Amino acid sequence: MRLAAQSWLIVILALIAAVAAFGLAINRNLPDPHLGPAMAKRAPNPSRGAYIATLGDCAACHTTPGGAALAGGVPLATPLGSVYSTNITPDREHGIGAYSFTDFARVMRQGVRPDGARLYPAMPYTAYAKVSDEDLQDLFAYLTQKVAAAPAPDRVPGIPWLLRVRWPLALWNKAFLQDARFAPEPAKGAAWNRGAYLVQGLAHCGTCHTPRGLGFQEISVDGGSAFYLSGARLAGESPVNLRGNAGDGLGRWSADEIAELLATGRSPHAAVLGQMGEVVAQSTQFMTPDDRSAIAAYLKSLPPAPEEGRATYAPSGATLAAFMAGRESTVPGARMFMDSCAACHRLSGEGEGRSFPHLGGSPTVLAQHPDSLIRVILKGARLPATEAAPSRLAMPPFGWRYDDQQVAALASFVRQSWGNNAAAVSAEDVERVRKGLR
Amino acid sequence: MAVTNKSVDVVIVGFGWTGAIMAIELAKTGLNVLALERGEDQDTVPSFAYPKVVDEIAQSARNGLLQNLSKTTVTIRHDKDGRALPYRQIGSFKPGTGVGGAGIHWSGVHSRVMPEELRLKTHTLERYGRGFIPEDMQLQDWGVSYEELEPHFDRFEYVCGTSGKAGNIDGVMMPGGNPFEAPRAREYPLPPLKDPPTSVLFAKATKELGYNPFPLPASNASRPYRNPYGCDLGPCNFCGFCSDYGCINYSKASPQTTILPALRAMPNFAYRTHAHVTRVNTSADGKTATGVTYIDAQGREVFQPAGMVVLAAFHLHNVRLMLSSKIGKPYDPNTGEGVIGRNFCYQLINSVNTFFDKQTYINPFMGSGGVGQAIEDFNADNFDHGPLGFIGGGIIWGRQTGIGPVRGIPLPKGAPTWGSGWKQAVKDNYAHTGRIEAQMSNMAYRGAYLDLDPTYRDAYGEPLLRMTLDWQDNDLRMSEFFGDKLNAIAKAMGATSASGRVLKRGDHWDTRAYQSTHINGGTSMGTDPKTSAVNKYLQSWDTSNLFVLGANVFAHGIGYNPTGLVGALAYWAADNIRSKYLKSPGPMAAV
Amino acid sequence: MSDTNRRAFLKGSVILPPLAALGVSSASSQQTPAVDELAASAPAAATPAADDYKPTYFTAPEWAFVQAACARLIPNDANGPGALELGVPQFIDRQMGTPYGDAANWFMQGPFFEGAPEFGYQSQLTPKQQYRLGIKAIDAWCAKNLGRTFAALKPEQQDDVLKKVEAGTIKSDEAPLKTFFSGFLLKNVMEGFFGDPMYGGNKNMAAWKLIGHPGARADFMEWVDRPALYPYGPVDLHGRQA
Repeated sequence: MRLAAQSWLIVILALIAAVAAFGLAINRNLPDPHLGPAMAKRAPNPSRGAYIATLGDCAACHTTPGGAALAGGVPLATPLGSVYSTNITPDREHGIGAYSFTDFARVMRQGVRPDGARLYPAMPYTAYAKVSDEDLQDLFAYLTQKVAAAPAPDRVPGIPWLLRVRWPLALWNKAFLQDARFAPEPAKGAAWNRGAYLVQGLAHCGTCHTPRGLGFQEISVDGGSAFYLSGARLAGESPVNLRGNAGDGLGRWSADEIAELLATGRSPHAAVLGQMGEVVAQSTQFMTPDDRSAIAAYLKSLPPAPEEGRATYAPSGATLAAFMAGRESTVPGARMFMDSCAACHRLSGEGEGRSFPHLGGSPTVLAQHPDSLIRVILKGARLPATEAAPSRLAMPPFGWRYDDQQVAALASFVRQSWGNNAAAVSAEDVERVRKGLR
Repeated sequence: MAVTNKSVDVVIVGFGWTGAIMAIELAKTGLNVLALERGEDQDTVPSFAYPKVVDEIAQSARNGLLQNLSKTTVTIRHDKDGRALPYRQIGSFKPGTGVGGAGIHWSGVHSRVMPEELRLKTHTLERYGRGFIPEDMQLQDWGVSYEELEPHFDRFEYVCGTSGKAGNIDGVMMPGGNPFEAPRAREYPLPPLKDPPTSVLFAKATKELGYNPFPLPASNASRPYRNPYGCDLGPCNFCGFCSDYGCINYSKASPQTTILPALRAMPNFAYRTHAHVTRVNTSADGKTATGVTYIDAQGREVFQPAGMVVLAAFHLHNVRLMLSSKIGKPYDPNTGEGVIGRNFCYQLINSVNTFFDKQTYINPFMGSGGVGQAIEDFNADNFDHGPLGFIGGGIIWGRQTGIGPVRGIPLPKGAPTWGSGWKQAVKDNYAHTGRIEAQMSNMAYRGAYLDLDPTYRDAYGEPLLRMTLDWQDNDLRMSEFFGDKLNAIAKAMGATSASGRVLKRGDHWDTRAYQSTHINGGTSMGTDPKTSAVNKYLQSWDTSNLFVLGANVFAHGIGYNPTGLVGALAYWAADNIRSKYLKSPGPMAAV
Repeated sequence: MSDTNRRAFLKGSVILPPLAALGVSSASSQQTPAVDELAASAPAAATPAADDYKPTYFTAPEWAFVQAACARLIPNDANGPGALELGVPQFIDRQMGTPYGDAANWFMQGPFFEGAPEFGYQSQLTPKQQYRLGIKAIDAWCAKNLGRTFAALKPEQQDDVLKKVEAGTIKSDEAPLKTFFSGFLLKNVMEGFFGDPMYGGNKNMAAWKLIGHPGARADFMEWVDRPALYPYGPVDLHGRQA
């Protein structure tokens, strides 16, 4: 988190200055969510809204496991303590039952509640700002008409009250929120546009997959930057590069393979890991095949991110040949790989079909930040169950078997074998990730 | 009765292979299905995760995945006049426990049945005449035909991802497969596994001897595989920890790898562990099962009402439940009357270790439970029994299942059992030792049966099941015949010496050393309620909403490993329950 | 994985400029992770052979017997260290403290009758009792017939005694010595010699190296169809290589 910490420091300095200079001058009126005039006459479709909720994966953050649907209360860790997601059921007192559609749209697009309070951008309103009036209206209809009201009060953040002030977030919004709907590019066809709309908007892929800038904002929310969706690092995970890079990106994947991953959590190239498992389990597997294909088509249209500093992949049989010649002992980490990993991932690194991920050219293995790779070695992982592929295949953890130095050697071996060419992993990297797991 | 649960449509006793099959097939109809399992819940990770499970001390020496005999066991005697003694330690057979049952620690050999074995009495009379059948041998037809079962064999193989090579697709002989194979509708779902050294030598030798080797079908996947339920398997990596072990990489078919992921997603299915069923409860006239009684984890007696009861535990427990629940007439060896406990059989094994010179590497630590080459030239009635004078047959194989040193390193005859000489011998031989075996059908005899032990009780206060069984002249003459074949094959393989265990006339069932867990019979299926406990649909003749699965319904022993037939019969029963019984509950077969 | 991971994940995306303005930027988590079922994949902690091991179950005379018997059953010789050197006595002592020592998974309800050998173990003695009574009886026999306890005999004499016990020619009213030898002593020595080092024997995997067994490697896909010397040394359950 060193990079992130530097960002935070810059934010701190900038904001101290900004608060001092402009704090009192901020417009504290409720912003206009810019709903089109046609909305007043449109009949909302709550059934369609249910699908919108799935596309947006609202339940991921607003439903606790085993709790009432969308009643909030999911703890979201912050540096100062937990904040909790809110109740978005139609309960009038505790939920959004008293909201007008305009109120709702303002929350979704600008992160401002009816009482003027600012949401923390943990709520991805910078992405939801892309969502169309119609989709928002149907979503609102679903939430207010089809969801059971749950009288669950919002939980008080576990943050000292003095530090709970939210109004300075307006400054952040001013700097980083693009309050603009998705603008189609007709020349690129219906599927591309649908995919772009979903990826940038409801599916809010950039929240995890786009690197963040100095203000900890996503550096691009509309594909305008070659770093959009180019992979990031977030609290012990490294969401992968979704662009066309042949090394750490999806350059060698077909659109169908991307769509398959979204439907089942697995593909011939890789399997989902970490948070993405929940996204597949709760959202993407329930998307229509057309929507998954549209997402895949859009992702496949993203040109490679600048290659500088990125890993490459040029498939090579040298690693397997060395193993078969009994030469493993000259390469640190090779023997550990043979002892702990090859039973599934094979000495060739090729894995096995959809059951065991291919490590050569794996975006997770080659990611700029090795956090996810280290994390999965230390802690193991389990695939989500999906309707099409219910097996929750799991990788057992090996953090108990190897110390930081050994895990670093193992991860480095994986990042530099079978044609993978990524930077080595240090024991300090492993120590940092291991600490984050405790 | 301390506790009575809410009623369910179907209660399934035991949550191994047959329980899982019946659960998913009946849950698909929308019925509320509950499975009761006496053991622990368990899954590939964490229960069988690498490397925890590949521990010979925990699994092979201490039987970590097997039935805890301190809770319940059986007693054993050789004849009805002897005193039965408890099976105090795991020895010649290995019942499993926990979710997945014996489907966890089995090897994976996955065969069908030979058509004539299902009608062995009729077939033997037709070909060899009445005088050929020993007086005390209780042959009978099973009431179901191979043709009826074929789609269900196929179904189970496709669920398991069985690796093999067809020899006979709808009557068309396929090169590379087993020429004696009964016709199958299509190829195996996966190609055969790679051949380890033992299998290569065995295939070469048997071919030279004029036999017909073929790759043994194995439910150890040879490729990554997604089965019809959507469940994903990985390929077998020949880890050498198969029989006795849970599979580390999702490649050995088990309820966990092939069925439970899909079953768990069904909201109308549930299972409970630590539920030890002691009784099938019946109505006063005994014609209707009302549910089952079990002891829960806290030791409470619980009544689970149900509209239908399925016995899907291991063989021993299914038979004991029929006896303790007083469903069906217990078998009496003096009169030959009664059906529960009748026709108890136990597959025979001859095992020969083959020792090779120092240039011939077998590497027995590599292997897979089901991998091997086999011949069926002497299975079922593939050969003329006339001049040989015995009934039955078997399969001979060169498998390489994984032999680790705690499991025992075989040594040539005369090698010391300890000391420096032993140490030299294990050093010299380990890497160069293979094993070939003959597995032979055990016929049913009047004096071999199961009943409740009058002396010993288990931890729940229930009488133990008592086994009365010994090898008969017919079996031992067959065994000697197969012993000769094994020795000839060992020689043809180039073994410098061979030693092992071949049953000969005068030998008795030895409960100490592992033989196989292929015990069968006791609640036979058949066409006549006087000689069978269940009809051809595995429905109790006496209690029509009770179905009994497992190898206990075999009318007598077969040459093949039983799991393929056990699974196919479960699919067959489930299919008929769905298509016939649920539409019109009641007896499905005319008496 | 749901809750913990989601929280950890979101932690990174939550931004609190006002809080940050107060100088707080630590990313360290205050969360207590939920119980992680994947963590149950690890084997028990290792208790490898130790130079200063003190027996827990065996008394001093019993310990002397076990060590002496191990040294003869698998001797230290030209083929390398024996059972004593590999920690097998420690293995056996530790095993007495597991459920096995008390025959916890065996059916131990009476009545007990002797039967033909084919019916297997019919004694009411647990492994712990077998050792206690068996060692006492063998030592008593040695003292009476050879003037010393077993451990004090010369190696050749010890071998002779063990052979006689194995053959059943040394009998005792106090213990079923033939059963003790084959069903416990020799069996447990083999287990300790070849079992994973985590149990106290097979120090440095020397027994596996003796016979060319790769231990807990459990992966031979690329090797199974190569009838040749397997080139890699063993690994134990805890990942140590040799």
